[in-house]
Amino acid sequence: MTEPAIEAVSEQKAVGALDARGDVGEARSLWSDAWRAMRKNPMFWISAGMIAVFILMSVWPSLFTNTDPAYAILERSRERPNSNAWFGRNIQGYDIYARCIYGARASILVGLMTTIAVVLVGGAIGVFAGYKGGWVDSLLSRIGDVFFAIPLLLGAIIILVSLPRTTNYWFIIIKVVLALMVLGWPSIARLMRSSVIQVKPNDYVQAARALGASPWRVIRSHILPNALAPVIVVSTINLGGYIAAEATLSFLGIGLQSPAISWGIDISAAIVGLRTTPHMLLYPSLFLSLAVLAFIMLGDVVRDALDPKNR
Amino acid sequence: MTTTTREAKAHANPSAYVPEDGLLLDVEDLHVEFHTDDGIAKAINGVSFQVRQGETLAILGESGSGKSVTAQAIMGILDMPPAVIPEGKIRYCGQDLLTMDEEQRRRTRGPEISMIFQDALSSLNPVFPVGWQIAEMFREHRGLNKSDALAQAIRLMERVQIPAARERVKAYPHQFSGGMRQRIMIAMAIALDPAVLIADEPTTALDVTVQAQIMALLEELQAERQMGLILITHDLGVVADVADRIAVMYTGRLVETADILPLYANPAHPYTRGLLESIPRLDQKGQTLAAIGGLPPNLLRIPPGCPFNPRCRMAQDVCRTDLPALREIRPGRFSACHFAEEVIDD
Repeated sequence: MTEPAIEAVSEQKAVGALDARGDVGEARSLWSDAWRAMRKNPMFWISAGMIAVFILMSVWPSLFTNTDPAYAILERSRERPNSNAWFGRNIQGYDIYARCIYGARASILVGLMTTIAVVLVGGAIGVFAGYKGGWVDSLLSRIGDVFFAIPLLLGAIIILVSLPRTTNYWFIIIKVVLALMVLGWPSIARLMRSSVIQVKPNDYVQAARALGASPWRVIRSHILPNALAPVIVVSTINLGGYIAAEATLSFLGIGLQSPAISWGIDISAAIVGLRTTPHMLLYPSLFLSLAVLAFIMLGDVVRDALDPKNR
Repeated sequence: MTTTTREAKAHANPSAYVPEDGLLLDVEDLHVEFHTDDGIAKAINGVSFQVRQGETLAILGESGSGKSVTAQAIMGILDMPPAVIPEGKIRYCGQDLLTMDEEQRRRTRGPEISMIFQDALSSLNPVFPVGWQIAEMFREHRGLNKSDALAQAIRLMERVQIPAARERVKAYPHQFSGGMRQRIMIAMAIALDPAVLIADEPTTALDVTVQAQIMALLEELQAERQMGLILITHDLGVVADVADRIAVMYTGRLVETADILPLYANPAHPYTRGLLESIPRLDQKGQTLAAIGGLPPNLLRIPPGCPFNPRCRMAQDVCRTDLPALREIRPGRFSACHFAEEVIDD
């Protein structure tokens, strides 16, 4: 009969200790821990700041410039940077600074929309394959392998060429997003599948089942929150890649086309003056590189923050 | 209080009336096989037992004897495939769980039959606060809103004697000690006032003093709620104070079932006797601890005859050819040994 007594005493002590400290310590989840780690990282603030500026540019370009990017002064073609046109003018006599600002919209739109589409489609397929297992998993994985085997740019060229041609800005954006999504989902699906397979045999998933959770709740509450971290990291890094892919497709003339404004189009148009007027190439390329870099940097920071081994 | 909640539940789910004799769970001739690349592993080979209201049944056996598989089969959380249940019935309040559709069966998990796992740390979701996880039970099964469910969670945490429950409800599993985590697991398992609670080695991952506290808590909760408790363990010491009946398992078969005290006093199967002899005793200082020689057989190749015969000191020719059936040798005592009478009188 001494056991309950011991128990009571030890609990008294425990309560006393808690009272003495005044609190039970701040509850910290994986995400709040990650946030703490990121907050201290200057790279996070640099990349997040750059991304914020690019997003602002794509939503309200008129905040950054009053110049109409579609207003060409042909007689000032290839003008060098000056006080009137900060980045100079390109071959058509457009203001390069305004074109760089307005070009952000296509890149950010394609980057964000592709990432969202890839995470939704690839994530859903990955979760389904990983959770179901068996022949469903084999079938979906092999279908993913088929798409994975197609090179991104080559595949995107084929898809974009075979889709109906149009000059509507939004329609072209959606076409590009669709092409990149069709080719991009297997990487996220693979990652999601492997995360789900890793999380699924955990005791807490079994325990949730044993306590009557429905399959939907098991996936939503127990599998997804524990399997999502790698997908978030890779998606952030991939976002930069999709922006580069959009620029590449526009550069090749199968993505966006004039009169739409895109960094890729301007880079392509500037090639002719590479040796005589390199500023035409420099500024759109710089913007493109910075946008890609910002997302890759952010992805790196998020990965470091989520990976306990790197602390 | 317990009877009223039970009646209320019976109204909510009219199919689940507790029969008058209090028979909650009736497992009959259960077989479970695992179909592997190397062949069929027969994990459970005809297990039958019953659990009544307020009764504690201990299922005892060493690793690989099929204790946990039995529990998972009752809960319906075996991965099928590779597991197959070719034969048997698991009746809960007269209804066969194995023929129920999955959705109906899922609804019995939690409010009717519930389970506690061995390792509470890995059984709790690391990314959610414990209070949220207990509250989830009420939100999933009772449809309570967030704040009501959380209030219930705090009440339960207090019931399982977690100090400063109100403050700790937002803490994460890793912030608790092993014993406290197991208390949280128990709180989740009893949240919906189940009629049957299965505890799968609830104290194995804990140190000895905490083991005693957890067992005391389980015993108290069981008495309070008149649950049928199935206690799965390999530790004879843990069950001695708590269990009413014991079922000893070996290679997926029951080799002996008996009330707890007669079994400790006079085992009726050589395997049980071996287990009892292998407990260290205070009054036998300086002696070598008796052990059962050898290992349990590979479930892919269970030897013919009595599966225990290669390790049995009493094995005769008949043991190598004929499988002994579980038979009643004294009132309430069953043993699956050809020489049970000799063993019990020994």
